[in-house]
Amino acid sequence: MRTAMPSYPVAGRSVVSAGPLTFVVRRRSAGVFLLLLALTLVAVVLSLGVGSTFVAPVDVVRALAGDGPFTLVVQDLRLPRIVVALAVGTLLGLSGALLQAVSRNPLASPDVIGVSQGAGFAATIVMSTDLGAAWLGPFALLGGLAAATLVFTLSWRYGLAARRFVLCGIAVALATKALTEIFIVGADAIDGQRAQIWLAGSVAGTGYPEARILLIPLVVLLPVLLWAGRAMDTTALDDEVARGLGVRVTNRRLLLGVVGVVLAALAISQAGAVDFVALVAAQLARRLVRAERPPLACSAVAGGLLTVVADLVARTAFAPVQLPVGVLTAVLGGPYLLWLLVRRTP
Amino acid sequence: MTTEHPSLPDGGETRSPVRLAARELSVGYGNRLIIEGLDLELPAGAFTVVIGPNACGKSTLLRTLARLLAPRGGAALIDGEDLHAQPTRELARRLSVLPQSPVTPEGVTVADLVARGRQPYQRWFRQWGAEDSAAVERALALTGLTDVRDQSVEALSGGQRQRVWIAMTLAQDTDALLLDEPTTYLDLAHQVEVLDLLRRLNRDGGRTVIAVLHDLNQACRYADHLVVMKDGRVVDQGPPDKVMSAETLADVFGLGGVVVPCPVTGAPMVVPDAPA
Repeated sequence: MRTAMPSYPVAGRSVVSAGPLTFVVRRRSAGVFLLLLALTLVAVVLSLGVGSTFVAPVDVVRALAGDGPFTLVVQDLRLPRIVVALAVGTLLGLSGALLQAVSRNPLASPDVIGVSQGAGFAATIVMSTDLGAAWLGPFALLGGLAAATLVFTLSWRYGLAARRFVLCGIAVALATKALTEIFIVGADAIDGQRAQIWLAGSVAGTGYPEARILLIPLVVLLPVLLWAGRAMDTTALDDEVARGLGVRVTNRRLLLGVVGVVLAALAISQAGAVDFVALVAAQLARRLVRAERPPLACSAVAGGLLTVVADLVARTAFAPVQLPVGVLTAVLGGPYLLWLLVRRTP
Repeated sequence: MTTEHPSLPDGGETRSPVRLAARELSVGYGNRLIIEGLDLELPAGAFTVVIGPNACGKSTLLRTLARLLAPRGGAALIDGEDLHAQPTRELARRLSVLPQSPVTPEGVTVADLVARGRQPYQRWFRQWGAEDSAAVERALALTGLTDVRDQSVEALSGGQRQRVWIAMTLAQDTDALLLDEPTTYLDLAHQVEVLDLLRRLNRDGGRTVIAVLHDLNQACRYADHLVVMKDGRVVDQGPPDKVMSAETLADVFGLGGVVVPCPVTGAPMVVPDAPA
């Protein structure tokens, strides 16, 4: 019989209970989560206000409530795209956290292990042939999943070894990218340019239909994500130690990896290959929380925040020219990746 | 360095000794069989030490008994049942294993690592309970780590770190504990510290303890039951004073020398021949 809530034996963590559910929460994670959420809210309000017509934050809030002269601009023109950016970033953040935990490698992310390149290859095929634009999303999704399946298959040897997984991913990513280049060179100029923009990743012109495609699977996968948040705790342990604790290491790694890949492939199918968000969001969240592996919920919010901010800058910095959001995330992510590499060198 | 260990009543419930055995067991890697057709019965509730020269299959045997390796033929048994047929999570509540030199996750604190021993009792929707807290506190106290619970494991000495890993397996609250060379890379004082702890866990706690050791003198000093292996076979087994002899030394290890009673414990002590 349990009456009082037991205290968790590790400093900085609490046991939180709600009905039949009992969770262990890092207090620092909870704080970081709320902070990132607040920053995201600020970024969204700011992004809703900035553009060809400037709308003050107060008016943005009023417009969101359906009041004032800016309802059309804020609710109909700007909000849908920002919701997509938010959703894309959230999915990529989750994907980065899952893939990095599974591979025990801070560099693992959908754009490093071939998911983005697979999706990009499939999208390029659609754009350089007579297939209609309606096929773009489904093809990109399948392309991303196919590349990931190839990576899983190639790295499979008596189970799924963490190191092999990343190396095979890099190989598949490079090969797929080369194939894509061949297609682009062979395509006519306009198709090629469209493909280039798609490959860079952009949320321009997207809206609620895209957001629905992103958010419905997220809601469906919520129980799996709740499980994953806990299951990731054993991925930092030696495989043998984890096995000794009764964990089916291979199954767990496979399931976490597949969820990570599916989330990324979905995001990329709607917005193109937005680079670095998955990698940076997960590492940023991990550093803020000071955990030994990326925290899932914080990575999700960090991904959303990064993408919304990057999209805000991308569409306003060189106005009226709109950069694809992926160009900006790459510009920001590249130096960060370098810093990460330099810092990790002993 | 000596550490004060409180002699705690170990848990609330009485432990049931676990019988581990191998029946016509064959294990190997790739195309090569390391162990072939091995039959072995390990005494329940005893401190068993497996010894033998390098590549004799002692680690392979231990890892198979801990279901870290799957048999090619025959079976490993726990209380007469096929161990590899048990749900791994349920097995983790009866038997814990400490693999050889596990890598410590970056930045993990002592209590954090020990708390992970509760994994086999947890579900994602029920991540912690009072019994989990009690088991972790008990494991920390038994290993004398309560005072350093909030320190980073990486910052500890090798001996302390090994105690943290043992504490993690203790938090698993199992009747049997299997350890693969738990004293490797430790200096002599820390080796003795770890072995004393294992003996206490066996004597006071009633756990079945099975360890692979390299040091023959330590094996004789601590074991109730010695298993001597060579080329994947069990050459001899029994109490150390029945098993360890100059003949064993020569036949199994190819080493000349004498076996004399230890001046402190009376257990057999190996003294190799004078250097050439």
